[in-house]
Amino acid sequence: MGSPLKKIMLCSSEKEIFSVEEQVMVQHSVIINNMIEDGSYNYEESKIPLDCVDSKTLKKVIDYCTYHTHHHNDNQEDLEAWDAQFLNVDSNGLYDLLMAANYLEIRNLLDLIYRTIKNMIKGKKIDEIRRILNIKDHGFTPEEEEQNRKEYPHFY
Amino acid sequence: MNCEKLRNPSMDKKKQLKHTVNKAKEQSSMEKRNQNDKSKTIHDILPLDLIHKILLRVPIRHLTRLRCVSKLWSSLISDPDCVELHFHHSPAATKACFFMKNDTMAYLVYLDDNYASQKVVCPPFKKKPPSDFEVLGSCRGFILLHRYPHFLVVWNPLTGVSKRISYSHIVSRPKYHSFRLPYSTHLHGFRYDASQDDYLVVAACRDYERQEDHLECLSLRTNSWINLDAVLPSPLDWFDHNSCGLFLNGAIHWVPSCPKDYRDAILIFDLKERTFSKISAPEQLLTVACPFPSLALLGDCLSLYGHNYGRGTTEIWVMKEYKVHSSWTLYEIPCKIFQPLCLSRNGDIIGRGYDKIGYFIYNVRGDLLKRFKNLPCPPPIGYCVYKESLAVLPLPSGIKDKDKKKKENCMPSSSPSSLGSLESPNIQTERENEEQHMSGQLATWGRTFEKCK
Repeated sequence: MGSPLKKIMLCSSEKEIFSVEEQVMVQHSVIINNMIEDGSYNYEESKIPLDCVDSKTLKKVIDYCTYHTHHHNDNQEDLEAWDAQFLNVDSNGLYDLLMAANYLEIRNLLDLIYRTIKNMIKGKKIDEIRRILNIKDHGFTPEEEEQNRKEYPHFY
Repeated sequence: MNCEKLRNPSMDKKKQLKHTVNKAKEQSSMEKRNQNDKSKTIHDILPLDLIHKILLRVPIRHLTRLRCVSKLWSSLISDPDCVELHFHHSPAATKACFFMKNDTMAYLVYLDDNYASQKVVCPPFKKKPPSDFEVLGSCRGFILLHRYPHFLVVWNPLTGVSKRISYSHIVSRPKYHSFRLPYSTHLHGFRYDASQDDYLVVAACRDYERQEDHLECLSLRTNSWINLDAVLPSPLDWFDHNSCGLFLNGAIHWVPSCPKDYRDAILIFDLKERTFSKISAPEQLLTVACPFPSLALLGDCLSLYGHNYGRGTTEIWVMKEYKVHSSWTLYEIPCKIFQPLCLSRNGDIIGRGYDKIGYFIYNVRGDLLKRFKNLPCPPPIGYCVYKESLAVLPLPSGIKDKDKKKKENCMPSSSPSSLGSLESPNIQTERENEEQHMSGQLATWGRTFEKCK
């Protein structure tokens, strides 16, 4: 584990550099923790390139890690309220976050997003799920779709 | 600086999904190129393994509905590897208990540590009552039922797939139609053999006319019975045993309904070795007032429980180490007629009470931790602990290819050589009306999945 004051550099897909407390990322991201531990990060020169994470998403990820590092002693309800507010984004924003959390292996953020998406589709009708997840092309032929709708009208 | 592992951290450790699924994805990503980038969908953005991980969070009983969302989801959910993964690793897996209320109605009770719900299902019997049947056990999504006089039915209550099997060739018909042999004259066992992707049904019967015992094992994959008479030990007091076998550690276990001696009380049939053996029950269980013990599986441990009428409690003996007699450990539940069903995440005992009616959680010291309210508890005529799966019955391996065409027009589980008829299921839901009419659904999805391939 690195010292709390050390900073590391993260580089978004737009080549924007973010300077973050090492401790914040090490605590949450398995990948960054591994890099720091095996000494492959050079504090003088290294920037960690995150080619598939855009600046907007990276900023959100850093916000999440920072908040959870500094507020891990808060009570569960407050943390959950903060998380809910944090994930109050559109579906594309949510997918981007999921990709970034998966890429960086931030397990509690991954869990949170999986849970959120699950709750978004839980108990919903098919049409509603498609709208929420922005699925315009479901891939069924018109005949298949027609047959499903006829057979399971209560699903739609 | 070594940033190599950052480039694609998930690829090497993520399980590659099946070819069929990749194809569906390819198709979907080809179509997406024509779309405006702003209207990106979950399919365009998320790799399959992440979509799959979301689906893993959804309880299996909801997946039947989610198959309608898109063709990609349909193929993901129906993929045999995913079905397997969901069965074993889904964080959303909840314990269910299957109770048969009467010949035409059964219910699944989902018991979580904090939450219980119930769903009504209709057994796949065409015939109207009266018909005698019995719940014999469950295995990987399927329930094994017995129907008088010589039929077995395997049934997946979630998908509605069922198959009836006759074993008339090993049981002699009673001379008088009005006279019915007690069920305890047969032993049954049900298990899934992962190495062969096969369900096996073991049936042992006594032919009273010829005074002979028979033991046979049915492979649902090949639809053939294998005679195992040669391995039968003699004498076996068939009629002394509870008919339902409990599967554990590669073997089926039976206990006499009224054991006379604690030694050799539990009869074991090892399916791989095809040998019989016996293990002893705790001596105290029988010397105290528990004359009618039953078997249960609690946290992967073989357990025996009985009602101590003298003390007004239920004694649960758990064999903590398999086949180690000294490891039998007693837990006492202050409930006269208590049926332990499973363990909670904390290792507390979840069960059903029949004198105090309802579902309860007790800790191992016998303190009542929770009582699930508002669940109707009609007295069952049979029960088993059940774990849901969308698993289908295996197809005979030799005729897979020529069966493929037929498959498009019938249920995935059906096979040309099936011994019994495929009976159309009828399912009703109490809590979730979206799950009604699942009967024909599998047929549709079978076809859809085939086309997806």
